[in-house]
Amino acid sequence: MTTTETPATTATAPTTSARRLTTAKAMVEGIAQEMERDPSVFYLGEDVGAYGGIFSSTTGLLERFGPERVMDTPISESAFLGLAIGAAVEGMRPIAELMFVDFFGVCMDQLYNHMAKIHYESGGNVRVPMVVTTAVGGGYSDGAQHSQCLWGTFAHLPGMKIVVPSTPYDAKGLMTAAIRDDNPVVYMFHKGVMGLPWMAKNPRATGPVPEEPYEVPIGRAAVVREGGDATVVTVSLSVHHALDVAEELAADGIDLEVVDLRSLKPLDRETVLASVAKTGRLLVVDEDYLSYGLSGEIAATVAETDPGLLRSPMRRVAVPDVPIPYAHPLEYAVLPTRDRIREAVHHLVRA
Amino acid sequence: MTEVLFPQLSDQDPDGEGVLATWFVDDGATVAGGELIAEVMVGKVTSEVIAPVPGAIHLKVKEDDVVRQGSVIATIS
Amino acid sequence: MDDSVRMNLYRTMVLIRVFEEAILRDYHADKRPAFDIGAGLVPGEMHLSAGQEPVAAGVCAHLTADDAVTATHRPHHLAIAHGVDLEKLAAEIFGRETGLGRGRGGHMHLFDPQTHFSCSGIIAEGYPPALGQAFAFRRRGTDRIAVAVTGEGAANQGAFHESLNLAALWRLPVVFVVEDNDWGISVPRSASTCVTSNAVRAAGYDMPGERVEDNSVEAVYEAAGRAVARARAGQGPSLIEVHTLRMWGHFEGDAQAYRTDLEGVPGRDPIATYEQALRSAGLLDDGQVKTVNEDAVGRVEAAIDFAKNSPAPAPETATDYVFA
Repeated sequence: MTTTETPATTATAPTTSARRLTTAKAMVEGIAQEMERDPSVFYLGEDVGAYGGIFSSTTGLLERFGPERVMDTPISESAFLGLAIGAAVEGMRPIAELMFVDFFGVCMDQLYNHMAKIHYESGGNVRVPMVVTTAVGGGYSDGAQHSQCLWGTFAHLPGMKIVVPSTPYDAKGLMTAAIRDDNPVVYMFHKGVMGLPWMAKNPRATGPVPEEPYEVPIGRAAVVREGGDATVVTVSLSVHHALDVAEELAADGIDLEVVDLRSLKPLDRETVLASVAKTGRLLVVDEDYLSYGLSGEIAATVAETDPGLLRSPMRRVAVPDVPIPYAHPLEYAVLPTRDRIREAVHHLVRA
Repeated sequence: MTEVLFPQLSDQDPDGEGVLATWFVDDGATVAGGELIAEVMVGKVTSEVIAPVPGAIHLKVKEDDVVRQGSVIATIS
Repeated sequence: MDDSVRMNLYRTMVLIRVFEEAILRDYHADKRPAFDIGAGLVPGEMHLSAGQEPVAAGVCAHLTADDAVTATHRPHHLAIAHGVDLEKLAAEIFGRETGLGRGRGGHMHLFDPQTHFSCSGIIAEGYPPALGQAFAFRRRGTDRIAVAVTGEGAANQGAFHESLNLAALWRLPVVFVVEDNDWGISVPRSASTCVTSNAVRAAGYDMPGERVEDNSVEAVYEAAGRAVARARAGQGPSLIEVHTLRMWGHFEGDAQAYRTDLEGVPGRDPIATYEQALRSAGLLDDGQVKTVNEDAVGRVEAAIDFAKNSPAPAPETATDYVFA
């Protein structure tokens, strides 16, 4: 099973001889190559030094670049995220890690009221070229405070770019682009796509990654599977589940087109609309909460452009508006699983 | 022909079992010396496995297989 | 202390007061007869710093334009003392295209890259970015420093404590300044803070702490001199608390019915007090007082005229400058 990417919407596809890496290793390689190239790039956060990041976001970086550039912080999110803002304002390119996106509550002011607004409030006179990396997602019973995605919340607030890679290739390319971007970029990596040995993983968590530095453009979706019967718009780990379902259903004669958004801010509405115009049917799969979020945004994009594009009502598969449960059967009842995706597709094509 | 062994990761339990978590190369592929070929884990300690020599690699275990430390996971010829 | 230093401290304080009085005048002028906070040439909340001039003058006298200052919702005195361009400052307060932020930030969100000055409307949240500026300065091998200013109410906010710990741990060149003006809006310090002096808290964060009790610009100058020297020498952060005076309301429009010390306020005006001290020392006479005042008025009125004659930002540009 290979991912096919429309050249017009992506950076150069991987070379045929590209070696394979997990998403985690690809992310680290992106960071390392930029740190090599630009001495103003540094990484700070909790357990990012000797531990290498609890989801392997910084493995090997301390050994390679030393404690001046890879720094463990106290449990002081407001202080160290704010520190990153101040350093960025003075021309450095910090990468600050919010260990779990669920922790944003303790430091959101620095992010949405400061990091995201300084460029605008200063009339463009002050830039904040920083990256905030953060782990998202559930599926391994980490409970309500450690399993959220929350990209809808972040994307809702003006002034921050949001990228959400699903593959090793995109993980490295989007990291490079994020670091080089002069704006604040929130880089949200799902724990389930990292390819960690100690967590159940999808085979697509490992994939080809060019050795040389490259960028994947921020704000461009990728059509990762072409098809004519229905469009599945999704992001992050759900891309893999959608592709799995697409492969299964191909045998039943249902041909799905899968759009991996890759960026939520800016949002590539054109790619979504082009696909829906082609297939006439839309399913959004979103591991964030159902209401007031990404899936509603995609729906609005279609509705306010041309509701006539749809042959039948669109459908959404998302986490219902409940805290994510701990017990495995309960958690898997709320996550956007392959079963739920398959069922939604059936409703969609029969309607 | 060179054997690639599952690394010794546990001092307390040198014969203990671990898991072949990820293969980065396909069976029969040509690998370079020093290339990353696998990631393994014993308990919660993970390790990368690097190809000791160049050549054609033959995988002896599958992903997610439980493997004894020190046993052969691949050969390179 | 040099007489020229004294005169500069006095001139800075007068300039600040004249500016604040001009803003006070123009802020209220077109909000009559009934106060409408959203109306007029200067709409919105307005937090003026009359009475707190000694903090700004005493601290900023030790800084150059290369040093960073982060301030609060009550920022004008620090902006002026740190050398922010008066015209661009006024224009931003008046919401004009020629303002520091092209009218997008307003009086609580002033950013001046020339002087590394910034301020924030969120209590205590100006402390963490100051750490980052100090970090960048030190990482580049300079002796530039960051001064982070908040009020006494902010000393009970999480970001305050996190920032003190991290600055001390990483030995960052920061001077933390706390302006204790007795009131967190309407809540007196005794009802918000478990200690009587935040200098005591400094010890809990492994840094020296000093409290200046009498809003004296020279005492602030001396204490700041020590703290700034420490920071420049790579010895890490310090905390200075100044017991200062909020002469007017928390914001303009604040009736201050809760305030029990209003009668004593005019007698505690720090500029009147310092003027008297300089007169007694033979450094000021009626003529010089008049000259200093006229110079300040000239500069301030020119800045306000510039602001009033500047164009408002065009509505079509409202979504510009979100991203670089």
